[in-house]
Amino acid sequence: MKIEVIDYKGKKVMEVSGEIDMHASPSLRKELMSLVSKKTTPLLVDLKGVSYIDSSGIATFVEGLKGMMAFGGKLKLASIPAGVMEIFNFSKLDKVFEIYGDLDDAVNS
Amino acid sequence: MMDSVKITIPSHPKYLSVVRALVSRMGELSEMSEASIDKVKLAVDEACSNVIKYAYKGDAGKRIAVEFRITQEGFEVTIEDSGIKANPELIEGRSLDEVKPGGLGIHLIKRAFDVLAFDERKKKGNRLRLIRYKRGDNED
Repeated sequence: MKIEVIDYKGKKVMEVSGEIDMHASPSLRKELMSLVSKKTTPLLVDLKGVSYIDSSGIATFVEGLKGMMAFGGKLKLASIPAGVMEIFNFSKLDKVFEIYGDLDDAVNS
Repeated sequence: MMDSVKITIPSHPKYLSVVRALVSRMGELSEMSEASIDKVKLAVDEACSNVIKYAYKGDAGKRIAVEFRITQEGFEVTIEDSGIKANPELIEGRSLDEVKPGGLGIHLIKRAFDVLAFDERKKKGNRLRLIRYKRGDNED
């Protein structure tokens, strides 16, 4: 898994790629919660390059969302590949997260 | 003829990708659909993650044995460890309507496999048997 934090059209974007499993989740959690603790909002997460996610990855995003909501911040997920989206749907989290088709939709929201 | 493959991995999360790769290949050999392979791969990953987390409490110096069998009826996976015994009665995921981290893994295992059973004859550690029966053409 790779994580890059970039500025895109004035917004902070976390670009995640590769496989998010029990091995990768601690790094994801560290990066995500660091931005949450700095009250970086809105924080956009681009998942275009993610090929796999397990329950530890999902749990990490739920934790990030809860951290954001605690101070009224926004966590927006964008470009979720179909296979990854299927897990969000199954876990009924598609109704909880703000999810956008692509990064520009998330930026303009 | 029964086709089976067995691997033993260290109980370090970095080896979960090796198990996933093997699930993919075995799923292809058993002529599962791509969607089914994805579900089974995730379920086996979750079961092995549970061994690392709960049976071995994160100790990366132990071993996990994973055996795959392609049978007439379907696809079987047996996962063995020598860690703390699981209490099947306590294995329950969160309600999917609750929004909180954790508790999703068991749901992902149960949706992929028709049978999830701990072998009570195993004295030390756990032997988890997962069975997925063959599906119809358009069922995942």
